[in-house]
Amino acid sequence: MDFDAIVIGAGHSGIEASLALARLGFSTLLVTQSLDAVGRLSCNPAVGGLAKGNLVREIDALGGEMAKLADRTLIQFRMLNRSKGPAVQAPRAQTDKEAYALLAKHTLEAEKNLSLFQDTVTDFIVNAAGTAAEGVVTARGRRFASRVTVLTTGTFMEAAIFIGEYSGPGGRLGEPAAEGLGRSLRRLGFDVGRLKTGTPARVLRRSVRFDEMDEQRGEDVALPFSFAYDRIERPSVPCWVTYTNAETHRIIRENIGRSPLYGGKIVGVGPRYCPSIEDKVMRFPDRERHQIFVEPEGLSTEEMYLNGISSSLPEEVQDRFLRTVPGLKDIVIARPGYAVEYDYLNPLQLYPSLETKRLAGLFVAGQTNGTSGYEEAAAQGLMAGLNAGLKLRGEPPLILSRAEAYIGVLIDDLVTLGTTEPYRLFTSRAEHRLSLRHDTADARLLEKGYKTGLQTKEAHERFLEKRNKIDTIKALLEKRKVKTDDATRRTDLEKFVSKSFAYALKDPAVKLEDLIELEPELAAFPPAWRGQAELDLKYEGYIKKQENEVERVKRLERLALSPDIDYSSLDGISKEAREKFAKVRPLSVGQAARIPGVRNADIAVLIVHVTKRKNP
Amino acid sequence: MNEPPFSLHDPIAALATPWGKSAVAVIRISGEGCIGLADRLFIGTKPLRDRPGHTLAHGFLADPASGERVDEVLAAVFRAPHSYTGEDSVELSLHGGLPTIAAALDLLRRNGFRDAAPGEFSLRAFRNGTMDLSAAEAVNEIVNARSDRARALAFSRLSGALHDRIDALKRGLVEVLAGIEAMIDYPDEIYEHASPSRAILADTRAAVDALLATYGAGRLFQEGASVAVAGRANSGKSTLFNLLLKEDRSIVSETPGTTRDFIEGAVTVAGIPIRLFDTAGLRPTRDELEGEGIRRTQIVLDRSDLVVYLVDAVIGLTKDDESVLASIEGRTPVVRLWNKTDIAPAAAPEGFIPFSARTEAGFPNLEAAIRRALLGSFQGEGGAAVIDSLRQKEALERAREALALTDAGLERHTSYDLVAADLREAIDALGSITGEVTSAEILEAVFSKFCVGK
Repeated sequence: MDFDAIVIGAGHSGIEASLALARLGFSTLLVTQSLDAVGRLSCNPAVGGLAKGNLVREIDALGGEMAKLADRTLIQFRMLNRSKGPAVQAPRAQTDKEAYALLAKHTLEAEKNLSLFQDTVTDFIVNAAGTAAEGVVTARGRRFASRVTVLTTGTFMEAAIFIGEYSGPGGRLGEPAAEGLGRSLRRLGFDVGRLKTGTPARVLRRSVRFDEMDEQRGEDVALPFSFAYDRIERPSVPCWVTYTNAETHRIIRENIGRSPLYGGKIVGVGPRYCPSIEDKVMRFPDRERHQIFVEPEGLSTEEMYLNGISSSLPEEVQDRFLRTVPGLKDIVIARPGYAVEYDYLNPLQLYPSLETKRLAGLFVAGQTNGTSGYEEAAAQGLMAGLNAGLKLRGEPPLILSRAEAYIGVLIDDLVTLGTTEPYRLFTSRAEHRLSLRHDTADARLLEKGYKTGLQTKEAHERFLEKRNKIDTIKALLEKRKVKTDDATRRTDLEKFVSKSFAYALKDPAVKLEDLIELEPELAAFPPAWRGQAELDLKYEGYIKKQENEVERVKRLERLALSPDIDYSSLDGISKEAREKFAKVRPLSVGQAARIPGVRNADIAVLIVHVTKRKNP
Repeated sequence: MNEPPFSLHDPIAALATPWGKSAVAVIRISGEGCIGLADRLFIGTKPLRDRPGHTLAHGFLADPASGERVDEVLAAVFRAPHSYTGEDSVELSLHGGLPTIAAALDLLRRNGFRDAAPGEFSLRAFRNGTMDLSAAEAVNEIVNARSDRARALAFSRLSGALHDRIDALKRGLVEVLAGIEAMIDYPDEIYEHASPSRAILADTRAAVDALLATYGAGRLFQEGASVAVAGRANSGKSTLFNLLLKEDRSIVSETPGTTRDFIEGAVTVAGIPIRLFDTAGLRPTRDELEGEGIRRTQIVLDRSDLVVYLVDAVIGLTKDDESVLASIEGRTPVVRLWNKTDIAPAAAPEGFIPFSARTEAGFPNLEAAIRRALLGSFQGEGGAAVIDSLRQKEALERAREALALTDAGLERHTSYDLVAADLREAIDALGSITGEVTSAEILEAVFSKFCVGK
């Protein structure tokens, strides 16, 4: 055996997968088409955002790398939704693309147990029975044997780029597609589909008239994504906001026939939540304007990213419609916007561990599974690498539930519902988002990461101390009663006299920071920990309500189903459900119940089946 | 979710009409191979197994072993999936009569059928997708419904009045939630701020309240009301009772106090199924037996939904009447009858309906008064959406509470994460009646309504 593990691809998913495997102590080979394209932020120069910021912090809690990469290369930080409630707040950072990619590459190079190799994987080595992956074959004819393999090809598998009438092979503009692997996967019997995504033009800073746009500044103090430290010192550069207008839309409409998407050249399905400007204009004809954010690509480049206006119209059309936008009149396009179409594997072919059902030892993660987004890719890469490592150790996989992590929601959605368009995580996909706050990612997951061996001892100890302190703060708030004296100083506390501080905090109007002057002991704790204790108390009622629901769901989750059940022999299941069960092969009744189109009665039959096996 | 431990498509049989004396009794059979099995017990011009679905065959049900004919029958053949259960099935219409029904069921049992478990036909229908949960409940209620109006209400629900109503409410709430979700998930982009519509919330709350208010009426049509007929001895209670019942069940005599106990009968008044109680004459007595009757009468009056109180117009309003009426008043609604106007044509006092149990004069007024007293302002006719199961009531109450919290949250500018949680709870509560709303559907609403994403 050449290596314990092979990871194909060095994007956000491959980075996490290969680091996880190497850090668990397995000799790992990372194969990528180009070592100069490790950790590329192919689209927007930003990490985090709604649900995505939570993912980054969850990755960090489990022992992944993305949070640290972002913390060390960010050039603007914002906490989104400050006014809309703590449970839906999320950190988002503009990042320096070049710096991010360099740091990612360097981190991989420095990792013990990890080898990097530049070549293109074109096929798998499969055992004689055709049931297990045992290594890879490359374009230059090299063969590497391994016990497990993680596939993370991003947008590169059999990929093609489209700009107006132009089309040609390529996974990113100027970078060749990975050819051969998609064909191999089809030959091996995998269900391979086509998806599409797109990116806007990059323009030169000196050609932008900033005085015609609104400035959008970041926050003065950046909150680190990682739980490993309390503060980071990073520069903060502004972004800019401008808008399209009727003239922009007219040009787009007049040339819509030249769009490869509307002209029918692209068959892959694009994301509804990340529409191109063509889609926006055509689907919402009543909208008078669409927003554009002008974002720096980095500190060492003059290129700027036009967020909100991705397009695959011909380059001269892009040039013309951009010039109608305030601030972009004299714009110089450095790289045009384009669409890319690529192969993906229907994720219904995966177990929740992200191992394929067809080939044991082959794990798939990232955009190859039909997702979009750096954070979604990294989260899957981490879980695929971790679970591949646990498999090598002979241990059961780590499956996070929907109630404990956005990662759980993401993977459960993929392997249970499948996807036919690029999948993006939203907070509303999580039934229990009130308990999935970004600031509690460590409380939810760090212990689990530590148990697998991925999270460090230092991080664990740091976490235990924080948890103790937060418990101390909560105990103090429970014990301390509102006195009449307090109410004289703060009249809003009058109705809480003789009740505890904790009780008073359930009132949305009462803030913990205001109580510090009444109870100086509180001042001794770091503000972030006080804040967390406060939120835990404020949300207690809602979280309890959700916990009851979680408990109900858990009961079904605990009813395990074997992947080998012969559904055709199970009596009383509807034909439709029978087919779906056979395809998804759910590992629990709970997962089965989430498959769309399955009826209660079908689930009842499964319950009977499980119960019968338990008590024959 | 408890699936019964029996096999899921073997042939089953059950009496579909009430177990009792009736003109026609229907036995329904369903399951794999049931048409062939039934054919062996059927003597007719053409075998059942050769008949297409939705046809009616005349013939005889007979024991193939002895050749003995059980009854003359009409057999309605249904073929899968176009049947009530979605399986092959046959409905056998027999002449009513307990011995015939018993013999027919026994014959089926000896020839490959087993007795259906309670609700098993509906379970199969539900499982085979021929009805949804709300419809399955409605069918159960049709089967048990006691009156034409109850059946009409149940049918209107089957045809989807309630389903449509709740679904419309749910869609309205999903729109509101979609707006909130768009603002949460796209904080930078919703620049024409779509703030949640309090108006939709208010309308939905009113609609939920209105649906909840139908519970009493729905329940009434479903379960029937208890109506006690009361009055002094010889005030004409039994005559009225019999008039309502049109059947001689209690003893009518000219001697006061002959009705010694309450007697139950089931009737339909103004379309409402009613359990009728005839009570012992309410008058002080030293007769031990009758004293016990009066004590029990008080219990009946307390537990009734309505008391019809008769006053003998010949004697007029006595102190006894006044004290009894005073004791009922405020506890149970009362309809007052000024009875025997045929022999004492004196004007009825205020609040009394002039009536004659013997000549039936004033009967329409009595019906109207009973309907008004039981239903109040409820005007629901055949097509109204009405709830009548406890499950629906509880779900709507859950929705009502969650909507109140949502609205209060918006009023107080509570953060959207909590408002969304309450709103989601309301949607889930409504969804528990007509089908769950998935997060994919909410996202669908977001993307169809808002131009978001970069």
